[in-house]
Amino acid sequence: MRTLTGIGCTPLAGVGTARWYRPETALTLPEQADPDQVEQHEEHGRFETARNEARAAIARARRRAVDRVGEEEATIFDAHREFLDDPQLVGDIETAIESGTPAEHAVADRFERAITRFESMEGRLSERADDLRDVRDRLLRALLDVDTVDLEGLPRGTVLLAERLRPSDTARLDPEAVTGIATRTGGRTAHTVIMARALSIPAVVGLGDRLDGVHGGTDVLVDGPAGELVVNPTENRRAAASDPTTPVRSERVTTVDGCEIPVAANVGTPAAIDVASNRGADGIGLFRTELLFLDRTTPPDEDEQYEAVTTALESFPGDRVVVRTLDIGGDKLVPYLDLPVETNPFLGRRGLRLSLDEHSELFETQLRALLRAAASDHGDGLAVMFPTVSRVSEVETARDRIETVAADLAAEGVEHAVPELGAMVETPAAAVLAGALADRLDFLSIGTNDLTQYVMAADRENDAVADLHDPLHPAVLRTIDQTVTAAHDAGAWVGLCGEMAGDPALTRLLVGLGLDELSMSATTVPAVKERLSNTETEAARSLAEQALSCDRRAAVRDLLTDG
Amino acid sequence: MERTVTVVPEAGLHARPASEFVQTANQFETDLSVGRAGDGEDSLVDAGSMLAVTGLNIGHGESVRIVAEGPDAAAAVDAIETVLTTPLDDGSETA
Repeated sequence: MRTLTGIGCTPLAGVGTARWYRPETALTLPEQADPDQVEQHEEHGRFETARNEARAAIARARRRAVDRVGEEEATIFDAHREFLDDPQLVGDIETAIESGTPAEHAVADRFERAITRFESMEGRLSERADDLRDVRDRLLRALLDVDTVDLEGLPRGTVLLAERLRPSDTARLDPEAVTGIATRTGGRTAHTVIMARALSIPAVVGLGDRLDGVHGGTDVLVDGPAGELVVNPTENRRAAASDPTTPVRSERVTTVDGCEIPVAANVGTPAAIDVASNRGADGIGLFRTELLFLDRTTPPDEDEQYEAVTTALESFPGDRVVVRTLDIGGDKLVPYLDLPVETNPFLGRRGLRLSLDEHSELFETQLRALLRAAASDHGDGLAVMFPTVSRVSEVETARDRIETVAADLAAEGVEHAVPELGAMVETPAAAVLAGALADRLDFLSIGTNDLTQYVMAADRENDAVADLHDPLHPAVLRTIDQTVTAAHDAGAWVGLCGEMAGDPALTRLLVGLGLDELSMSATTVPAVKERLSNTETEAARSLAEQALSCDRRAAVRDLLTDG
Repeated sequence: MERTVTVVPEAGLHARPASEFVQTANQFETDLSVGRAGDGEDSLVDAGSMLAVTGLNIGHGESVRIVAEGPDAAAAVDAIETVLTTPLDDGSETA
């Protein structure tokens, strides 16, 4: 058993077989280790796992060949399977491993001998050498963890290891099959992490160089709550990490004194909507529509977007579904939109800025879909908000666009309605102008991940400033407080959809700050509901007041620990 | 027991006939060896090894010697003979 420490991102744990996702790696052998350093037992296991993977891959290739070419042609894969299980070849490789050769070198060497022998003979035997190469490469790919992986088709019980996963990669994962994610880089608010939480996949990121020492095929435990990746975990360790099952409550919960605060989920994909529903979320507090735009060559049309939104509304009848309009730019790129590369994308053209300008046609299509959805069966639950707002004029322009779209739809005789409208408060500018924005809108939603990044001037993806990227810093807490107060004074409600909403340790503080809705990764909904139901509003207010009087984060933390 | 059989499939003891040969050999408990007829004891190889069987490089029309030692030897030799004497449907190389 070996433990690697990183940043836990989901309060969930999962065990499975490690599998590297390294789309960039070539099939080159590492330098051969000193025979004394080679763990024979481990190498035998790796070889066995590689053979199993290769056997499964050959079976899949055979099925595909049967479907596409024919039974007759598919028999080539029978020969491959026989080579894979050849007693001589397997025996030779195992003998080599027993004399201290690492599995990949043993495979490469013994196959090479057979290939050379076949090639030295005439006629058909030299053709067979190609079959041997094919089988050898399958084994080496498995042993070297070179990706041939179809992310959507990972076998059940896979823990995916990677340098980093792009949000689009994570979105392709099947939460039923992938029992964990572990990455070398990344912080707890990286988009991948957020998506992993939405899919209820245990995730630990920022494990660093040590992750390279974890071979594919090994048993690993991803312990989200502890922020650890455990290699070859013992039974006790597994048991200790298993999901602390907070009961799922599908009904709304109130504080002890009867104050109802919806505990909603942040989602981006249809799979995440189901997870949110299963975890008892009271609606959706952040629907990230940009995920509909990733992994494709053209943007989704109006009908497709309408379907996506109405599906979400139908999953949460009687609850609110807050849809954020397209938020691209920053670290979320969509190749076909051909956005210029910026030296500092987080301070560049992103969010509403793009929607009002160079991508106004995409914005218009999206608004049409949203206004139509607002008139659908459960459309009265729809709310729409704009990302990356820093000026009052942006909100006014967006409202104008909505009026234009509504007029167009009316002229076309298309049923529509104007939903509740709101703005994300992510920039210090939006926080300072919260009152003015709220005068023109129904609600504000505080995105604490970006707000923290901008208030603290600390890149959320940069591990070196991870300490600064914490919403408990007094500057961030006071910004949240000022935003809530200004919005309430203007008669608007305020939600919070950053990752801090999902930390049960902060629930009391957020209730005390006066937030009207909390939205988080679906995974954490039950734990936050549990905490909310034990919260007294007066005590929470007093806690918040004390926290707001702190000048240092350490003092805020002490307060939270004492409480 | 042992038997000598002439290889009928057009592909010889390669590709699909070889796969079937090896699969068949592995279905039995008996130790099955195979070699080119007339090549002597040293040429006998493990009939359950694709590598070894293919390595014999035996073509259509050649004779092979099958040697079996074990409980189901007779059945094994019969099954192997069937594989070696059944031409492929279209007689063509398929792999």
